[in-house]
Order: sequence, then C-alpha cells, then structure tokens
Amino acid sequence: MPTPIITKDLCKGCELCVHACPEGVLEMSKEINAKGYFFPVVAHPEKCTGCRFCLLVCPDTAVQVEAKGKTTVRTEGLTPKPFHYCPGCTHGVIHRLVGECIEELGIRERTVGVAPVGCSVLAYDYFNCDMSQASHGRAMAVATGIKRGRPNLVVFSYQGDGDLASIGMAETVHAANRGEKITVIFVNNAIYGMTGGQMAPTTLPGQVASTCPLGRDVNHAGWPIRVVELLQSLRTPAYLSRVAVHDPKNILAAKRAIRKAFKYQIDGVCFSLIEVVSTCPTGWGQQPHEACEWLEQNMIPYYPLGDVKLPEAAA
Amino acid sequence: MAKKLMKGCEAIGEAAIHAGCRLFFGYPITPQNEIPEYMSARLPQVGGVFLQAESEVAASNMLYGAAGAGCRVFTSSSSPGISLMAEAISYIAGAELPVVIVNIMRGGPGLGGILPSQSDYFQATKGGGHGDYRVLVLAPSTVQEAADLTQDAFDLADHYRNPVMVVGDGLIGQMMEPVEFKRSISPEELPAKPWATTGCSDRKPNIINSLFLNPEELEAHNWHLHRKYQDMAREIRWESWKLEEPVDVLIVAYGTVARICKTAIDTLRARGVKVGLFRPISLFPYPSEQLSQAVEKAGKVLVTELSTGQMLEDVQAIVAGRKPVSFYGRVGGMVMSPEEIEREVDKLVAS
Repeated sequence: MPTPIITKDLCKGCELCVHACPEGVLEMSKEINAKGYFFPVVAHPEKCTGCRFCLLVCPDTAVQVEAKGKTTVRTEGLTPKPFHYCPGCTHGVIHRLVGECIEELGIRERTVGVAPVGCSVLAYDYFNCDMSQASHGRAMAVATGIKRGRPNLVVFSYQGDGDLASIGMAETVHAANRGEKITVIFVNNAIYGMTGGQMAPTTLPGQVASTCPLGRDVNHAGWPIRVVELLQSLRTPAYLSRVAVHDPKNILAAKRAIRKAFKYQIDGVCFSLIEVVSTCPTGWGQQPHEACEWLEQNMIPYYPLGDVKLPEAAA
Repeated sequence: MAKKLMKGCEAIGEAAIHAGCRLFFGYPITPQNEIPEYMSARLPQVGGVFLQAESEVAASNMLYGAAGAGCRVFTSSSSPGISLMAEAISYIAGAELPVVIVNIMRGGPGLGGILPSQSDYFQATKGGGHGDYRVLVLAPSTVQEAADLTQDAFDLADHYRNPVMVVGDGLIGQMMEPVEFKRSISPEELPAKPWATTGCSDRKPNIINSLFLNPEELEAHNWHLHRKYQDMAREIRWESWKLEEPVDVLIVAYGTVARICKTAIDTLRARGVKVGLFRPISLFPYPSEQLSQAVEKAGKVLVTELSTGQMLEDVQAIVAGRKPVSFYGRVGGMVMSPEEIEREVDKLVAS
C-alpha cells in the first residue's frame, strides 16, 4: 500500500498537499509542530493511490511517498537545510525541481549556481553545488563570467522578476542575445516579495501591491513585461519556455522544461530561460491554495504557458 | 626579452597576458579604448576570451563571476566607467575575490572630459563603493612601470584575494616608451584556488558571497577585512628622488605628474635650488612612514596633482603640522608644465 510520509517539522502548514490530494488521504493536525504550524496527517491511508501529488506540491520537501517498498527522499541536488520561504511559497517547489534535474542529469559536481537578490537570495544555502551570490540584477553577468572562464561547468542563475526583469533587464537581454550557454530559472510571482510586496515589472493590471495600492495602472506604470516573448524577438538561438507550478500537472511539465534547459546547455546548444509562473501567498495576501487558483485565473491568461522558442527553429 | 616600443595601454594589456590572465571583460570608454582593442586581438591568440560587455556594470559583474570561478581576470575603464563598477567592486571586496582593474583617469565630475586627470584619488584609495573596504592602488609613472605594476597587480590580487587597481591617466595610456616584460607565467602554472567555484567533484560545495545577515558575523567579517588591509602595508612602494640630502622644498606627486616634477627639479637644481621628489607608487597602502621621514629633512612641502587637492589631505595628515604644506593643482584635463612647478617652488623658497 502506498502512503505519504510527513516530516512534520519541515512543514509550514500551507495545506497545499491536503488540497492537492484527489482522494482525501490527508487532513491537517490538531496539534502544532516545532515551528508552530499545523501539519498534515495521514487520516485515510487506505485511500492513497501513490499518485505523489502531495509530494509534488509540497514547497518544503516535507512530504515523501512510500510505495512498493521504496520511499522517496529529498534530492541530492539540494542540501538538507530547510527553506526559509513563507508557507506555501512555490520557490521551494522550483528549488526541488532544479535540484532533481541536477541530480538526475549527473551534473552536480560540475554545476555552479548563481543566486540573486530577492526572496531567493539565500539559494546558495539550498543548492548542493558550488554557488555564487550576485548583486541585484547581475546574476546573468556573473554567470557569464563563470561560464566564459570555465566553459566545462554547467552554470545556472535563479532569479525573481524584480531582479531579472527590472534592475537586471540589460543583463538579461544581452546574455540572451550573446547566446551565453547558461540556464536561467526565472521565477515570476508578479511582486517584490522580500522587500514587502511592492509592484514588480510583472505585476498584473489592476493587481494591488504595496506601491500601487489602488492596483497597477497601466497608463501610469505601463503593462507587465512578458519576458520570454520579449527575448523571443532576438535572432540568437535560444530555448525559451514558460511554465507554472500551481498544480501537479504543471509542476511535472515545469520539470521537463527545466531539464531540457539544462540539457541544451550540457550539449553546448544555446542560452535557455525558463519562466516559472509562481505564487506569493504572503505578498498577495491569500491562502496558498487560493494563490494557486488566482495564478491560474489571472496570471496564465496574461502569461501563456508553453515553449516560446526552440533553438532548432531559429533562422 | 628584448625591449619593445609600446603605448602604455597596450603594455598594460600585454602585461596581463604575461601574468597568466586569459580573460578580459570591458566596455568602451575614452581614453582607454586601446586596452580592450588590444585584448580583443591578442587574447584569442593565446587561447583567452575577450568579451565586450553591455555596460561597465555588467563587465564588472562578469569579473566577479570569473574571479569567483578561480580565473585571473581583468578590466579597464576610465573614471565614469569606474563609478559604474563601484557596486561590483564593493561586492568583489566583500566576497574577497582577486581582480585587477585599470583606471585611466579622466576629468570629472559627471561626464567631465576625456583628458588626463587624477581626480579619482579619493574614489580609488578610500573604497569608492559602499561599505568598509579598500582596494590596493598602484600608480605607475612610466610605461615600463605600468607593465610591471600590472603584472604585480595579479599576484597581489591573488595573494590578498582583493581587487587591485592600477591608476593612470591619458598621458601614460597614450605615450609610447620602450618596455620589457621581465617574467611570464602561463595560467597552468598559477597556484590553485581551492575556494573557487570550479565544481564540487572532490569537496563540499564552495560559496562565493558577501551577504552576512547575522550582525556578529558581518562585524567579524569587516574586522577580518580590516586586518587584511593593514597587512597590505608590506606592499608599500615609493620612490625618493634627489632626497639624499636635506631639501628646502619636498614635492609630493604621483603618476605622470611626478615625471613633470622631475623635469622641473632638474632645472631648479641646475639653478641651485634644493628640491626633491617623494613619489608614492602604492596609493593604498600609502607610504606614510617613508613620507614622514622625508618630511623631517625638508623645509616645506609642495603637493601637486591633477585634482583640486585629494592626495593633499593624506599628505596633510602625515605631515601633521610639522612643516608648511602648499598645494598646486590643475584640473579638467589641464596639465601643469615643468615651468609652473618651478614657479611654485621658487615662490616657496622666496617666502
């Protein structure tokens, strides 16, 4: 019988696993864990089908699944250190996907990651490979320096929307245009999370943020930037794709795209950038599962998912 | 190796290659364009990489990445470009990475002009960006010295894991003089950097970082850096010129201005004026003790530089009121003639 295994002290009580489970296997506890959060308990183990949806949506690797005598474990692509992110923040999911790709591709020992300024500023604590912290917006310039100096390394940057699409836009466009053989993980959650929820270049029209309290006025602040479409216009070959991490199906698709992006680099093909449409429950002022629904209803219509550019298609 | 007639900018570029540097990231700005142009032609010939960045901001962060990955790397720029690099230089100092930066100074502030200047003395020697940090600053006065100091800069940067800045001006960048490269090392011969992000195949992951959210840790880091800057005192370099005997006037000048002073001193001495030159070669660390001793054997001190008085403040602090300190500066790209220096010295002798 398959069953979820909860590491309760890693849990931040976001309840995403409870909402993701199609069979109602999980319920929230009545007691709190060491961090002070309620955590999921396996209330109906007999209903578990081993679909792993709970594992896929958990942002804190607090859920593993035992099936057929094997238990999943946190990927070796990540260090054991618990994430500092807010409850329900999808950074943790994206970290796990990147870590899994690094492990599965067997590149951990020759990978260097570049951490940005923003919520994921401490990413160097979580990826289990060599890491370099960068100044705000300059991650792709730092990645360029590493890759040009040591072309045999696999270099990725992990950046948010303020870092990549606002202060770092010049570095973004030019790294893409030079065709730097790097992999960029671009987390678009439509807000400045770490500094307290200010308007981002990707904040949606009408979306409330702490510096647009009446909602983003496109006549004042312009329309949100669609990064992958903007980069698509460059003639230099690239792999550009937009994915989302608000439900298990999309999380699996996101992993396929991230893996493909690393593969293009390993094969020396092209620059790759995966825009990951993500949630910021704290910044948006929503429950984590509400944020996932809001993402689906509001972000995906403006930020359509799928491959935007493949290197094979380039002229 | 035989001597070769080279422009200062080209000699700096060639010196970097002799120092085992195979990476250059930079952005065009006058009056130093001969350095990136030279590197763009020369580096591919030796298996290196020249990359023209989209800005000085990007170039300096490419330096950060490459230095973090354990590569010898350098850039060159001129004053406004160095201002744009100041952020990255602060991060590079904070993360303790070895890089070499050449600043062929031009007049400011703002866009200023493109002619020679020494008005970035404060920026170079007092940090330049945010935070408590210093870069080691070397100021050549000849093309040969520019080549030698550039080569040394790479060794010093690696030794101290700190940025080293070579400051010159348009005069030294453009003038041609015979130059000899006295030593040469290949990248393969350079000492290993076990702290660098080269891939964690045989060790735990390395992290290049300047973030310390814990205030106790950040304080400890700052004092660690401070001790390192104090240790740099052993790298102090200077030239005492015609100071064997006591002088009536001690001129303090660096870089190309010191050359002008030497011409003036020759003329003055031919007229019987007792005058000599103290030339700091390392601007940080400053040869304070050595200047202090020279001041003891001087009647008056004349500081002259291509600024409205920047090094002057350091000299005043060292002299500490023991002797009168005068100043003569030209700015905006204007350069003093030897005659102007003679006139200033004559005035001091007469007063």
